[in-house]
Amino acid sequence: MSDKKNSFMSWLDRRLPVTENLERHLTKHPVPKKVNFFYIFGALLMVVFMVQVVTGIWLMMFYTNTEEGAFASVEYIMRDVDYGWLMRYMHSTGASAFFLLMYFHMFRGLLYGSYQKPKELVWLFGCFLLFLLMAEGFLGYVLPWGQMSYWAANVILSLFGAIPFIGPDLQVWIQGDYVLSGITLSRFFALHVVVVPLLMIALVVFHIFALHEVGAGNPEGVDIEKHRDEKGMPLDGAPFHPYKTFSALPAIGIFFIVFFAIVFFAPTGGGYFIEKPNFEEADFLKTPEHIAPVWYYAPFYSILRAVTFGIPFLGITSKFLGFIIFAASIAILFVVPWLDRSNVQSIRYKGIYSKVAMVLFAASFVTLGYLGTKPVNEMRTLIAQICTVFYFAPFILMPIYTKYEKTKEVPDRL
Amino acid sequence: MRFLITLLIFITLDSFAAGENKCGSLEKCDEYSATVHDTYSLQRGLGIYMNYCSSCHTLKMQRWNRLQRDLEIPETILLEDLIKTPDTKASDFITFGLPEVSPIGAPDLTLRTRVRGEDWIYTYLRTFYNDPNQPSGTNNLVYEGTSMPNVLAGLQGSQELVGKGKLKQTTQGTKTKEEFDESMRDLVNFLAYVAEPARVTREKNGFFVILFFIVFTAVMWLLYREYAKEIK
Repeated sequence: MSDKKNSFMSWLDRRLPVTENLERHLTKHPVPKKVNFFYIFGALLMVVFMVQVVTGIWLMMFYTNTEEGAFASVEYIMRDVDYGWLMRYMHSTGASAFFLLMYFHMFRGLLYGSYQKPKELVWLFGCFLLFLLMAEGFLGYVLPWGQMSYWAANVILSLFGAIPFIGPDLQVWIQGDYVLSGITLSRFFALHVVVVPLLMIALVVFHIFALHEVGAGNPEGVDIEKHRDEKGMPLDGAPFHPYKTFSALPAIGIFFIVFFAIVFFAPTGGGYFIEKPNFEEADFLKTPEHIAPVWYYAPFYSILRAVTFGIPFLGITSKFLGFIIFAASIAILFVVPWLDRSNVQSIRYKGIYSKVAMVLFAASFVTLGYLGTKPVNEMRTLIAQICTVFYFAPFILMPIYTKYEKTKEVPDRL
Repeated sequence: MRFLITLLIFITLDSFAAGENKCGSLEKCDEYSATVHDTYSLQRGLGIYMNYCSSCHTLKMQRWNRLQRDLEIPETILLEDLIKTPDTKASDFITFGLPEVSPIGAPDLTLRTRVRGEDWIYTYLRTFYNDPNQPSGTNNLVYEGTSMPNVLAGLQGSQELVGKGKLKQTTQGTKTKEEFDESMRDLVNFLAYVAEPARVTREKNGFFVILFFIVFTAVMWLLYREYAKEIK
């Protein structure tokens, strides 16, 4: 039996490097033995991505991408398609889960310096993935063609219209119409189900290949490659499979417990995962009282709204400046590898300024998120402005405080 | 740190101050969350819908035969007492031949509880009062200036506005206050069911799915522990 298998494998390996790649990426790929729970989010993201792809394909079989049919087809999925409601709720909850895990995964990266040399590309691919995920979420949110789909999309598309000179034409070009219409809907459908997911898959592959080239990090920031046993396996490392795969499984189980608790018992998430106005069909004559983004865009939406002033002598309106700062809040993540001048990776060995910066960043992100779901008033705008400063400050000041702060010595072994 | 805490306190205070939970002219809607697992309640709610709502409001996404199956309605009752019209099939939507957009502006009720919230509907139905300035002769605390007449006055009796957000009953309907509130809960339950028929199965079976993943996690945890011993 085993001979037969081996002969088959050698036949295959001669033609396709299966064994070599399995060993390289799974059974002999060393990963640090000791990591903390922050290191599970990458695996969970893969799981959620698969959930989104599978449920998305099912939804696509029954969805109609026309202005007249979209809303009704979603209700058709909810009512007449067997387990359609389950697919839809898994997909909508999956979107929220995707962002939540993404935020934790990236925050882990910031905490433990997962962007530092030589991991810059891993981080960059990850940032592109965040950007694509945001695009994907936005495009997908338009598809049910409810009131919030329509009006939230209007808000976002009007941002392109705020760009000086080319703005209005650009907006019409993106919409494919003078107003947001069925034409916009069907192109968003094409982007949501084909273009963006394909790019995401490609980037996930790059993300993982780059990671396997430089090796996974650990919360101590110790380089496990330094000490190896006689077989060349790092002393503080263990093969990815079976050790890491089996350590991920209980975590995946726990994730699904929470995930399905939401899917089955609170699928709308109290109006945060599926907003109430979205159960009403899009009506271009009727604006909802309060247009709020879904929670996962709320921090960025808050930053956008916090900019209540423009630069009049440059011809920059407050809306356009808001758009610039909103874009900068995502763009700044891309350059983090070059902002951090610290000689240690992990927050555990960095100085007090880095620690304060991370706390400030996290607190302002959460606060901005909270504010983004609420209507504006003066007090909230002021808080959002303060938080916007605290969102950017840790990054802008990073080259200074990481260079001069006192760091602790990193141990040699895990 | 102290600054952050102050900031957090500000935000918490702020969320209470703004009064976004406002329910029309009321500070807050009466709390009610519907249940869809009491079939008798759903049937009673259907009865109220048929008698008081259906002449203006459609349920254009709900099929008769789905209703029959989920509410355990005998076929003869469905055909003879509910559908009545001979050219309507059991697989048709509940529209009573009303046009897609009601000429008098009555909204379709299929997804209404999901748009407004169960609390809102429950409070709205119970807070009509006499107002001679309105074309219909009645007004509502939750939705001021509503064009819906108080079709439920026969059951509830009529109410007068005494002070801001306060109503006083002036005439007695066929039901006592408690009975009327109970009926309105039945109606909201029914509308919540119509808004999402899958909710019945969803809430019943979710437990088993979660139970499966609890067992899965436990088994995987034991497996993981064995592997973890090897690498310590």
